Amino acid sequence: RLKNPLLFEQEQLFLPVWQICRFWLHGRYHEMAPNVVPMDYTKDPDVKLPMQLIINMPELKENPFKERIVESFSEDGEGSLSFNDFVDMFSVLSEMAPRELKAIYAFKIYDFNTDNFICKADLEKTLNKLTREELTAEEITLVCEKVIEEADMDGDGKLGFADFENMISKAPDFLRI
Amino acid sequence: MAAAPASPALRAAKSCKKQRTVKRQTGIYTYQEPPHSNSEDDAGEEKAESHDPEQIFQNIQYQKEIMSNIRCRPWPMRQKLRALRQAKEIVLKYEGRLTRTRGYQAAGAELWKKFLRLAYNFVVIFIPWEMRIKKIESHFGSGVASYFIFLRWLFGINIVLTIMTGAFVVLPELLAGAPFGSTLSKTIPKEHIASAQDLDTIWSLGGYLQYSVLFYGYYGRDRKIGKAGYRLPLAYFLVGMAVFAYSFIILLKKMAKNSRMSLASASDENYTFCWRLFCAWDYLIGNPEAAESKAAAIVNSIREAILEEQEKKKSKNLAVTISLRIIANILVLLSLAGSIYIIYFVVDRSQRLERTKKELTLWEKNEVSVVVSLITMIAPSAFELVAALEMYHPRTTLRFQLARVLVLYLGNLYSLIIALLDKVDSMSVTDSDVNNDASNSTTSLATNTLSKDDNLTLPNVQIQRNGFVMSEEHRTQGLTDSLVNQTISFNTQNPQDQCWETYVGQEMLKLSIIDMIFTVASILLIDFFRGLCVRYLSDCWCWDLESKFPEYGEFKIAENVLHLVYNQGMIWMGAFFSPCLPAFNVLKLIGLMYLRSWAVLTCNVPHQQVFRASRSNNFYLAMLLFMLFLCMLPTIFAIARYKPSLSCGPFSGQEKIYDIVSETIQNDFPTWFNTVITYISSPVVVLPALLLLFMLIYYLQSIARSLKFTNNQLRMKIQTERTEDKKKVVQMAVARIQNLDANDKRPEQETDIISQESSVRSSTPRKNGSVLNFESPVSKGTRIQTISQSVPQAVPATDVVRPANATPTTSTSLTPAPSVSSVQKPRNDHITNRYPSVVHRSASELCKTKPYTPVTFKKHTEDVHSDPLFRKAIRQVNSDALGAGAPVFLGCRPYATRYFLVNENESRKKSLRSTSRLQRHFRKEEPGDIIELYPRHIRRYVVRTPHQMYSPHPSEDEEDEEELEKEFMNRSHRPRSLSDLRPASRFYIGDRADGHILMSKDLARVHYKSWDDGFELDLDRPPYAYKKVHLNYPEPRVKPKSKQKLEQSLTESDSISIESSSDPQNSSNDQYIQVIHTKDKYPKTGAKLTKKKSKNSIDLSMPEPSELVCSNV
Repeated sequence: RLKNPLLFEQEQLFLPVWQICRFWLHGRYHEMAPNVVPMDYTKDPDVKLPMQLIINMPELKENPFKERIVESFSEDGEGSLSFNDFVDMFSVLSEMAPRELKAIYAFKIYDFNTDNFICKADLEKTLNKLTREELTAEEITLVCEKVIEEADMDGDGKLGFADFENMISKAPDFLRI
Repeated sequence: MAAAPASPALRAAKSCKKQRTVKRQTGIYTYQEPPHSNSEDDAGEEKAESHDPEQIFQNIQYQKEIMSNIRCRPWPMRQKLRALRQAKEIVLKYEGRLTRTRGYQAAGAELWKKFLRLAYNFVVIFIPWEMRIKKIESHFGSGVASYFIFLRWLFGINIVLTIMTGAFVVLPELLAGAPFGSTLSKTIPKEHIASAQDLDTIWSLGGYLQYSVLFYGYYGRDRKIGKAGYRLPLAYFLVGMAVFAYSFIILLKKMAKNSRMSLASASDENYTFCWRLFCAWDYLIGNPEAAESKAAAIVNSIREAILEEQEKKKSKNLAVTISLRIIANILVLLSLAGSIYIIYFVVDRSQRLERTKKELTLWEKNEVSVVVSLITMIAPSAFELVAALEMYHPRTTLRFQLARVLVLYLGNLYSLIIALLDKVDSMSVTDSDVNNDASNSTTSLATNTLSKDDNLTLPNVQIQRNGFVMSEEHRTQGLTDSLVNQTISFNTQNPQDQCWETYVGQEMLKLSIIDMIFTVASILLIDFFRGLCVRYLSDCWCWDLESKFPEYGEFKIAENVLHLVYNQGMIWMGAFFSPCLPAFNVLKLIGLMYLRSWAVLTCNVPHQQVFRASRSNNFYLAMLLFMLFLCMLPTIFAIARYKPSLSCGPFSGQEKIYDIVSETIQNDFPTWFNTVITYISSPVVVLPALLLLFMLIYYLQSIARSLKFTNNQLRMKIQTERTEDKKKVVQMAVARIQNLDANDKRPEQETDIISQESSVRSSTPRKNGSVLNFESPVSKGTRIQTISQSVPQAVPATDVVRPANATPTTSTSLTPAPSVSSVQKPRNDHITNRYPSVVHRSASELCKTKPYTPVTFKKHTEDVHSDPLFRKAIRQVNSDALGAGAPVFLGCRPYATRYFLVNENESRKKSLRSTSRLQRHFRKEEPGDIIELYPRHIRRYVVRTPHQMYSPHPSEDEEDEEELEKEFMNRSHRPRSLSDLRPASRFYIGDRADGHILMSKDLARVHYKSWDDGFELDLDRPPYAYKKVHLNYPEPRVKPKSKQKLEQSLTESDSISIESSSDPQNSSNDQYIQVIHTKDKYPKTGAKLTKKKSKNSIDLSMPEPSELVCSNV
């Protein structure tokens, strides 16, 4: 079995213990690519799984932003996750993580072009993913304009993190991301 | 703990990546967090070595803080691991050095924390149905799951209630109470013993069940039972009250917690579209079908929002909607009345049947309850149809629907309990009263009683049935006369049956059972069989069953939650009379949980309309609280109003149930306690206490009101600040546009100027420009608006100025002076034009730098951000404007970088110069200065010209709109202030190297101080600073010559800059800072210029860039 290589403690994570218990998560990680991921982590192998594998997890499979989620948690921004990143992702997405942290990652997720702003292009992408491209072009532009009009506090025509956080912190529904 | 052995290995393995991570860390730190990178930790270690325990302790505390909130930081995991390990090491290393006790304390706390965590984890494992709920969540989203979470929560409450009643009432009675059959109240009457085991009897909770611990009547009246003398009656009463108390407390606690959680989101601000976009997706969904319907729902909701948005513009036809709503409400009322009438009709009919028939069929016996249950099932759907008429917002619709259903359920429960209490009334009436009642009642009574007498011969079961029917009847109408008859029959038949408490308990339990049966039936019928039909018949049907009429059932969260509330209400109502009711409810809830979750997963589809009744939603809880209160009322009323039955129950023989308390106090407590109690319960104490309570409530309420008020005010404040921010941004945008204006005119000027300007000058003009721009946007707002050009263009243009300046310096490094005089005039002409342009440029800079500044505030990250911009700008300039060769390029670059580093810092100085000159020229305040300066100006036209060019504009502005500008400047400048200050200090340092170090330092300090101080200081200082500046000035030239000195100066300056840096931070908050600053520096710059010119303006050009770069690096 594993020789306690996965030394996560609850101080670091927002996961219930049965998920931390080192076999569960690693099991999930391992089962995606049994021949790549070693069972023995004591030597800290530098193993990364490509995004394609990860977004097929049942937890993410149906999520319209799965690629973005994985990318924003990967250290290289390319979408491949090391086991550490993987654990991190689970921790942040778990329901025990605080709103503020989630807001930070939500911002990253919605910031498609990673320029630290949610601009119109990002919004359009978000909308298209969310609605599976069922909205017409006019509707999309209208919604994007409205969104920016509502949330843009500094008037720069795009949403910075401050805008986003301000908006999201007031949302009654932003409980679970 | 397991981590300890493995960590070295990991660390070793990671050492190779260390460099990378370090880089990352620094980047990240600057991005989000105040610094505590490795280096700092290390520094902390070293410090800790040498310092006193207090500091060690603080360091440890700091590290612990890191450990405790590390998981809240948005770092990649690798970094978190590192930081955590490091912090732990430090703590381990130094904790031993502290005093023993402190170490022990910490260790103890740590142990306790670990234990708590373990315990918590242990508990978490045993949360029931967690996986089941998670699975449902993944299929249906959080809304449906919230129903199950609510159910689970209710389950928990019921468990506690069960434990309370079980441990303190039921178990003692079973263990120590008189055994079954020992007393009259615990034996089945002989007439009924034959039928006591019939299914019929059991079904109606008669027979053996009636004489069991299930009901109130079974409990003995002995004050003490068992060897230990357990006071069962007292316990019975107290537990009965504790059930309510506990429910109240737990409910209120939960509500308070939720409201605390949702407090942050309690605001009137509306981000309709944002929320629909960013918060729409339910991240828990993992099922393709659910995802599809969710996407469809989101599309719907967005379209809806668009429609609403468009309809806002149209004038709505209010009359139609209002009339429709009125109609809908009338319909709802009609259906409510109709349901009541139907119940009444059925009850009446069943009564008639009972009278005429001797043997009733199963249907006839259960007619009433079936009809009632049917109505409770059907009416909500009818309400839903009606609600479609009203055209409310979906959420409002839902609330209305819930309210109506709640009214319906409450009506049912209340009519039942009223009927029961009526019955109790008549049951407790004495024989003589019965006669009176009979005589008072209507003429039909006589016949009724006769028929009843016939019924008396019927078995007990029959009578029970009648009673139930009666109660149903009373629900709707309260036909007291028939009740009276009923009671007569009871009374005459058997005194043993007169236990009204048992009767009420039976009714409640029966209701609960029937409710359960109907729930199961409805789940099977409405969900399961419908699903089966739809799935398997749709192939051979003439329309598409799956998408048209019957469809698959949707899980109606609201109705189901309401049903839970209703169910719990029944439990609360009957718990006092039937101590086992909570236990029964626990079983029921378990069954419901499994059945519902199975049904939801097998035959329901995720529904289209999303009502996010999340965990933090108090709506359900409020309904539950309402229910609890309303259900408690009848019970309390019964306890307070009625005399307990004579022949059964723990309180038999007492006048009132609650007498048990006073009786216990009287008999079993010492007399002094008794007297104390009498005092306390006397009006002398009670009235003031009540008054006090009222006062307290009033006080707290007023406090809450004032808090709300301040809350509102704060919010308003934030809002106004935001709007001001917005205005500022708009102004900046305007400034950008202005910039474009300037660009057009610049090229010409530059060509003229290029040859003459030195690098120093070029830098200064820019800085002036930057400084100026703060002012100019405000002053020239009107003019600015007319100009329209894109912002990006503006930046290159401004850059152009610099390169232009730079190029000459590189090529003709030492000979700026000669041509200056001739060129000067043209420049002056252009000055006005140029100025705006420069200003704009700086404004654009501001805009760009601004977003970053808040984040990077303490560090000099600005440089990092700004650099790229500048380089870009420079490159562009090189390519387009000047078209100069390679030399230009080189010259430009260093310049540009330097500009950046210094620019923001220097900008002030230069701005100061420019402003100061302006002041001298135009202001009457400093006439003396003007005189002095003028000559200098003329002499050093090279240096001066740029200043002059810039100056005229600002001066005009100042005259026109001094105050406005100042304010504006200050604000806009704020973010930058830090960076500005530091470079300035360095610059001076170089000067100091020549020997005026002290002076320069003083100056720097003065500047900073003045910054912090108000305007008054400025007025005094300008001359002062001025002189000093003169002295200092020569040095800049010196620097280029001797780089060593420069370096020295740098080191010195560093210390100063540190000091100064703290000031700027403070000052950044101060809005007036900039104005002051500009004035102070003004003299300096002027002095510098003058001296430079006088000695040698030549040397400055080349060396300066390099110096500056160095200093920055």
